[in-house]
Order: sequence, then structure tokens, then C-alpha cells
Amino acid sequence: MKARTRAAATLLTPFFVLFTAVMLIPIGYAVWLSLFTEQQSGLGFGGSETVFTGLGNYTAALGDRVFRDGFLVLLGYCVIYIPLMVGGALALALLLDSALARAKRFFQLALFLPHAVPGIIAAMIWLYLYTPGLSPVVSAMHSGGIGFDFFSPGGALPSIVNIALWEWLGYNMVIFYAALQAIDRSVLEAATVDGASGRRIAFSIKLPLIRASVLMVVLFTIIGSLQLFTEPLILNTGSGSAVSSSWTPNMYAYTAAFSRNDFGLAAAASVLLALTAALLSFVVTRLSGRKDAHA
Amino acid sequence: MNRSWSRTTLSIAGAVTALAVVTACGGSGDDSADGGTGTAAKPVTITFWGWAKGTKEVVDAFNASHKNIRVKFEETPSGNAGGYAKISNAIKAGNAPDLVSVEYPQLPEYVSQGGFQDIGKYFTEESRKKFLPQAVEQTTLGGKTWAVPFDAAPQAFFYRKDLFAKYDIAVPKTWDEFKAAAEKVEKADSKARIGTFFPDDPTTFEAMVWQAGAQWFKAEGDTWKVNTTDAATTKVADYWQGLIKGGLVRTDASFSPAWTNSLKTGGTIGYLGASWGGGVLGGTLPEQSGKWAVAPIPTWDGKPASGMLGGTTFAVPKNSEKAAAAVEFATWMTTTEDGIKARISSGTSSAFPAALSLRPAAKKAFDTKFYGGQDIYQVFEDGGSAIAQGWTWGPSMGTTNTTLKDQFGKLAGGGTTVPDAVKAAHDATVAELSKRGLKVEG
Amino acid sequence: MSTTTRKNPWLSKAAVNGALLLAVLYMLFPLVWLVTAATKDTGSLLSGDTFSFKGFDLSKNLSDIASYGDGVYFRWYGNSLLYAGVGAAVCSLICVAAGYAFDKYEFRGKEKLFGLVLLGVLVPTTALALPMYLLASKLGVVNTYWSVLIPVLVNPFGVYLARVFSAGYIPGEALEAARIDGAGELRTFFSIGLPMMMPGFVTVFLFQFTAIWNNFFLPLVMLSDRKLFPLSLGLYSWNTNTHSEPSFYPLVVTGSLLAVIPLIVAFVSLQRHWKAGLTAGSVK
Repeated sequence: MKARTRAAATLLTPFFVLFTAVMLIPIGYAVWLSLFTEQQSGLGFGGSETVFTGLGNYTAALGDRVFRDGFLVLLGYCVIYIPLMVGGALALALLLDSALARAKRFFQLALFLPHAVPGIIAAMIWLYLYTPGLSPVVSAMHSGGIGFDFFSPGGALPSIVNIALWEWLGYNMVIFYAALQAIDRSVLEAATVDGASGRRIAFSIKLPLIRASVLMVVLFTIIGSLQLFTEPLILNTGSGSAVSSSWTPNMYAYTAAFSRNDFGLAAAASVLLALTAALLSFVVTRLSGRKDAHA
Repeated sequence: MNRSWSRTTLSIAGAVTALAVVTACGGSGDDSADGGTGTAAKPVTITFWGWAKGTKEVVDAFNASHKNIRVKFEETPSGNAGGYAKISNAIKAGNAPDLVSVEYPQLPEYVSQGGFQDIGKYFTEESRKKFLPQAVEQTTLGGKTWAVPFDAAPQAFFYRKDLFAKYDIAVPKTWDEFKAAAEKVEKADSKARIGTFFPDDPTTFEAMVWQAGAQWFKAEGDTWKVNTTDAATTKVADYWQGLIKGGLVRTDASFSPAWTNSLKTGGTIGYLGASWGGGVLGGTLPEQSGKWAVAPIPTWDGKPASGMLGGTTFAVPKNSEKAAAAVEFATWMTTTEDGIKARISSGTSSAFPAALSLRPAAKKAFDTKFYGGQDIYQVFEDGGSAIAQGWTWGPSMGTTNTTLKDQFGKLAGGGTTVPDAVKAAHDATVAELSKRGLKVEG
Repeated sequence: MSTTTRKNPWLSKAAVNGALLLAVLYMLFPLVWLVTAATKDTGSLLSGDTFSFKGFDLSKNLSDIASYGDGVYFRWYGNSLLYAGVGAAVCSLICVAAGYAFDKYEFRGKEKLFGLVLLGVLVPTTALALPMYLLASKLGVVNTYWSVLIPVLVNPFGVYLARVFSAGYIPGEALEAARIDGAGELRTFFSIGLPMMMPGFVTVFLFQFTAIWNNFFLPLVMLSDRKLFPLSLGLYSWNTNTHSEPSFYPLVVTGSLLAVIPLIVAFVSLQRHWKAGLTAGSVK
């Protein structure tokens, strides 16, 4: 028995050593750093010294309108993005799974392909596609009478949502499709024999059976949304877009660290973001768990 | 054959040895703790980060003509596009180069973080006299010298002289005339505009308020007096808000695809830039050679006046132990004819040196074919002497400019106004300085 | 008795396939644009004639990419292959070992430990990158290959997947048989367990490879020496140069195309595996 426990320990050690080094320690260090700040004196040309400030960075971040607005942006983003993503992926998966679809392998592959494109490149491609004068899309829209400006404040959210949808719809569709394919065919046959239409089968039978996948996708989509950084960064640095340098909390932390050189503030912002993610994940898993219990 | 070969070899070996002995003896013996400025036998290698046009040619020229110092050049993204973050990271990690490019606005922030070292020992009073006083003013902070100025960047107005002639527009001398000209351009061609307000480049706006006589930062004793909403700034902010609201200027980001595209298609026929913009335009629009001209920037009262739009200096990060060599290289770049010639002959630079004596050499080296042979350096010269004195960059330009940039980004959709953006920048600046523990008034 | 739908079956079929086709058009159109844009020179790219072949100069774009910065693009490619290839391989081994251990062994606090792993899945990795940078900065390992390689070796979701695969692919009897034959535990893992769950290993490897290849925030924060950049960061740095040097635009576009092709090829040819992985993750 002892040999087995030792073997288990050996097999688990590499992972947990790295896990501690790469996840636990940085979080701890971030919390530690967030308690300090740099102070200068005089006109500030004599360098600075590190000073303990307790919750000072946290009050600074939470008191900063720009940081709070970042969370509002995330809220708006999730409200628009998550239904579109989950609904869209489900719709595509159901369409693919229906008996009427042809060339399923081709569709599956073609729809998944954007996911093979690194996020940064996807964002750059869409940046060019949003730019008037460069983009066939914008020209077509203008000649069709739609004067939508992707770089305006009103266009910021839709433009980012679009890029994220493009990148992840195929991926989530494949997850749903795999789950749908795993449904026992006899259940579906019974329903068809009973006279249920394709649409009824889809909504009343297939969907409930893949609940677990849907919840997993919702959870991961929320977590991913909270970390929004790459796509807004490209729009911020690449154009006169209304996306500011601190548009999301992640960007706020990044700007605090690398533009303002305020690492204490950046650490505090990161910790606050991580806490929000943990809280949301907890809530979502609890809610779904409770639903399971009632079902 | 063997004998002649070995004889030749011997004589070569002998010559080389003799040469080595001679140069070794002739080298300097500076034994300062910082490694000194090297010798031909034992050259000092310094690393240099920069992004200004023509830098590679300058470095090559220096390395070819100097045996005691070798410069390793690494081209970095331009400051605001990541270059500054790279410098800050390197300083923090302790592996910064020996010399960096840093523009005037960003210099005080680095100094206040203790990122650079005082180079007064090497960049002496004697050398400083060679430069434009406004430039030296901005590199002397807290009584110490922190950087070697490279260029003065007076403002200038670049315009399509062929289209101005076609639409029958006189070159504006005042801002009122500029506004009238803007309206005329739009009437002549509904797709054309006289210029652009860059939402991503606060320094263009700052040059405008500088020209109007604003003073955002004043150091009094050990207190910073901050006021970005003074009368001069308000006048400039209201003026540009009017132009933007009236759709008389574009609001594309500087050097963006949209901006370049509009220049190529005649959608934008003017560019309110600085001396260094001359070479950039030539590089971006080679097919429009001969169609552009340069005029002094419009002013409020018709008399010459200008701010400085950017402008580069060279500073030594604090951990470098080769400050002497670094400053020698920097001084060579900024005060010698060879230095300036190498840069400008590269074809993409139209740098206007802060060192007064270099102006003729710079002018001579610049190929003005793109501007139809016009003496654009004379325009720069007039602008340079009209740069308003007394402007100070505060130690928080990172925060100030980021806020301005973020706010300006909302201008296009009517999400904010220029005056409101400036006020937001004011508040953010005061908050930042207070957070750092500095005494602020404003 | 079965109900026949009154609707024309062909119409429904057209609707379903039509909708799917529209979705495919949306997905593929930017990639088609990328292909045509990569063939253009700066002038034509910036004048917006996108779907024509005006200004065709693919060979110049390719040679510019190869020569710029002394071939730094190839260096970036190599770096990406290093980070993603070596990183994913080592990470998969670590994940598979841990997943196997969780699945096949019993010990005190096992499920609590596994709960910790699951918690790790929920932590936003970008929220970790900055603290990791600050820590690495303190330790002086910033701007090195290790600063990017070490963090990517950790993949809690991979451990979860590996546990699922281990349960599915390795019957307990096989291990018992090995034990009776006198084989040590670790030997059993390497010579019997691992080969049996190879499909699972490949799946974890593929996922992690993609994740590392696409990783942007971590290298952005950790690296400032251009020679260490992965492709994503290198192309981004070129993109930021386009501001003052429009001639970088073709470099970015063509470089992006070249960066995307291998992944697309890999995904097309290895369809079986990633579909298996997504299945395992969703169904179990």
C-alpha cells in the first residue's frame, strides 16, 4: 500500500509544485504587493520609496471611476455576448445535428476554423475590416446606406462582441454537437414516432439532455469574458477607436503597471478581478447545482 | 613559392603587431569607475535603444569612424506604441541599455521614478551652450541634467499645394483664416478636409496650447501648480471642438490606415505636424512627390509662435556603468555634422537639430524633392525661434496623456468635448500626483 | 400513425443548410480577405481594393518578411514552436501523470486536492500574468525563455481531462495484472498506463499546444527582447510600428497568414483527436 501512495505522490508532485509556483504564489505575491505603494517627495525628481499603504491601493482602484466603468463594460459585454454565443452555438449545433443537414464534416470543420486563428491575429484582421477606406465590409455598408462606425463609442461594444463571437462560436458549437451526438438515438426515434416535429424534439428533448454541457460553456464563457484584454487592446492601439486604454479591468491593471508604473495599483486591480471571477463562478455553479437538486 | 608566402605573412604579421602596439599606447587611460570612453584596443560597447528615423545609419556611421566605442543598436517600437513600456520594464529588471531615446514630455516621469542618471558630469555646461535654450530647459530638472537634447520640434503646416491651388485657397496665417480655409475646402470637395485632429496623440494638442501660451505645470518651490484648464487652453479647446463639431476636420488616428488612405485619395489635404513630419510624409506618400509644401503653423495673432511637438532626447538609464561612453555617443549624434548628415541622408528623416550650429548641415543633407525644392528648413528655423518659453512637462505625463487619449477617443461619436476631455485630464493628473505623495495645487 | 409535415421537405432542407452556409460564409470571409490582402503591396492594401488582385506582390511580401530584422520572423516562428511544442509536451506529461494518479489511486484528501485543481480552472489566467511578472521581475528571470515556458506547464483543466481519459482508457485489470507480475508502480504507469491512454495524451497536447501558440498576454508582459518573442507578440510589435511606417502593413498581414496556416493544417488533419477531447470534456 505504501508503495502505491508513494507512486501517487511522485506522479502528483510535478503538477502541484508547478501549480503552487505558477498560481498560488503569484496570487499571494499580488496580494502582498497590493498593500504597498511608491511615494515621492519634493518635486518628485529625487526618486521614490516604497511605503506600506494597507488598503490604499484598493480604495484608489475602487474610487477610480475608470476602473468601475470597466466592470460596467464587462456587464454590458456579458449581457450581449453570452446569450448570442450560447444561443448561436446551440442553434448551429442543433442545425448540424438535425437530419436535414448535409456535408456535416465540412460544416463542422469550416465553422471551427476561426478558432485556429490566434486571438491577436483575429483582432488585427477585424481591425482592418472595421477601418473605413480599407474594408470592403464598411464600403458595402456605406453604399447600402448603413453608416455604422465601428470606432465610435456606440460601436465599441458590438465590434468586440463580433470578434469574440467569430473566434469562439465554432469551438462551442463543436462541444454542443459532440454532446448532442452522444444522446441515445432510441430516445429521439421514440419521439419522432410519437409525432413530434423536428423543432419540438430539439427544444423539449435534446436541449434538456445536454444541460451539463450548456452550463459548462456558460461558465467558461463568463470566465473568459471577465478576462477580456487582447481584442480591446488591438482596437485601442490600432485606431482612433473609442476603446480606451482601461476599457476592461484587465486593461486597467495592465495600464497601471506599464504606463503609470504603479505596480501596487495594478496588483490590487488584478486581485479584485480574480475575486470577482471566483465569486461569479461560485454563484453560477451553486445556481446550477440547486437546479439539479430540484430536477 | 613557399618562401615568398612566408615572407609576406611575416611582414603582415609585423605590421599588425606594430599597429597594435601603437594604438594600445595611444589609447586613453580613463580609469573612472564607469569604464570610461574606451580605447581602440579595448573599445567600450554600449547598447542603444531608439526608434527615430535614420538611427541605424547614424549608428553605422559612428561605429565606422570611432574605434574606442562600439554601439549596439536595437530598434524598438516608438515610445507611445510600446517603446516606453519596454524601457520601464528593462530599468525595473535591471537590464536596461546604456542609452535610450526619450521624448521631452516623458523625460520628467522617468526622472521622478529614478530611472535615469544625472549626466551633468559628462554633458557639461560647455556642451549645453550649443543647444536651443528651450531644449536645454526641458532636460534640466531639479537642478540636474538628465538628457542630451537631439531635435527641436517646432510645429509646421504641411499641405497639398496643388489642391490648394485647385480649390483656390490661400495658405492660412491665423487660426481664423484656417477655419475659413477649412470651410472652403469642404465646399470645394465634400470628401476633402484640411486636416485632422488626432484623438490618439495628445502631444499635438499640447503643442497647440503651448503655442497659445498655456502653462500646464509650474514648479514653485516643492509644490506643483497644475492647471490644464487655463484661459489659453480653453481658447484652443473651444476652437478645436468647433472644428470637430462642424465636421471640418477628420478624426482619424495618427498614421493609421484610415489616415494614410485619406491622404492618398485626397481626402485629407493638410497635416498639422512638426519638423520631423516632413520626412515621414515623404516616406508614406512617395507617389505624391512634388505636390506638398510647408508653411509656418497658423497662429492666433498672425505673429510667429510655436509649441514643440514631441522631440527626442537621449538619456542614460540609472544602472548603466558606461555613462561616459554613452554621453560621448549622444553628443556626437547631436552636435557633429557627420552625425546629422548620416541621419538625414538616410532619406526618411527631416530632423531639425536643437544644436544651432548644425542647422546648415541638416538643411544641406535633406533632399527636398518631395517638397518641390522648397527650403523647408527655413520654415523650421522660423518656427524654432518662435517656440514659447516657460513650458514645463510635469512628472505625470503618463497619466495625463493616457487620460487625454482615452477621452479624445470618445470625440468622434460626440461622446465628449475637447474642453471636457481636458478637464478630465486635469483631475486625473492632480489625483495621480497626490497619490504619489507630492504637493499639488490645482 | 405518423404525422407528415405539410411543409415541403426540400424547403426545410434548404433552410437548414442555407443557415449553416451563411454561418460558414461569416467564418471564412475574413480568412479569404487575409489571403487576398497578403498578396498586396502597401499602396494597394491601404487603398482598399480588397477582393481584387490589384498590386499583386506576394513574392515581395514574402521576401520582406524573410529579410526584415535579419529574419527575425523565422526566429519568432521557432520560438512559438518551442514554447508550444516543448511546453505542451511537458505539460501533457505532467497532466496525464496527475490525472492518472487521481484516477487510479486512493489517498487521504484526494477529492479535496482535486477540488483545488478544479478551482485552478476557474482562475482567470490573465489576472495571474501581472503578478507572475512582478514575481519574475523580483527574481530576475523576466525576459527569458523560462519566464514564458514555466507558466504554460500548468493546465488544471488538462488534469481534469486526463482523469476522465484515464478512467475511460485504462481498465483496472491491466494494472492488477502488471502488479501481480511484480512491476513497480511507476513502471506500470510508463509502460502500460501511458500507452493505453495515448489518445487522451494527444488530446491534452493539442489543446495545450493551441493555447500556448495563441497565448499573448503572458509573453507581452514577460518579454521585451525581440529575439524571444513568439509569433503573436512579434506580429503585434510590427503592427504597432505601422503607425509611423506604413510599409509594415503588408508584413503584418502576410505574416499573419503564414502564422495561421500551420494551425489550420494541423486542425484539419487531426480532427479526430480534438473532437474526442471536446466530447470527453462535455459529456462526462
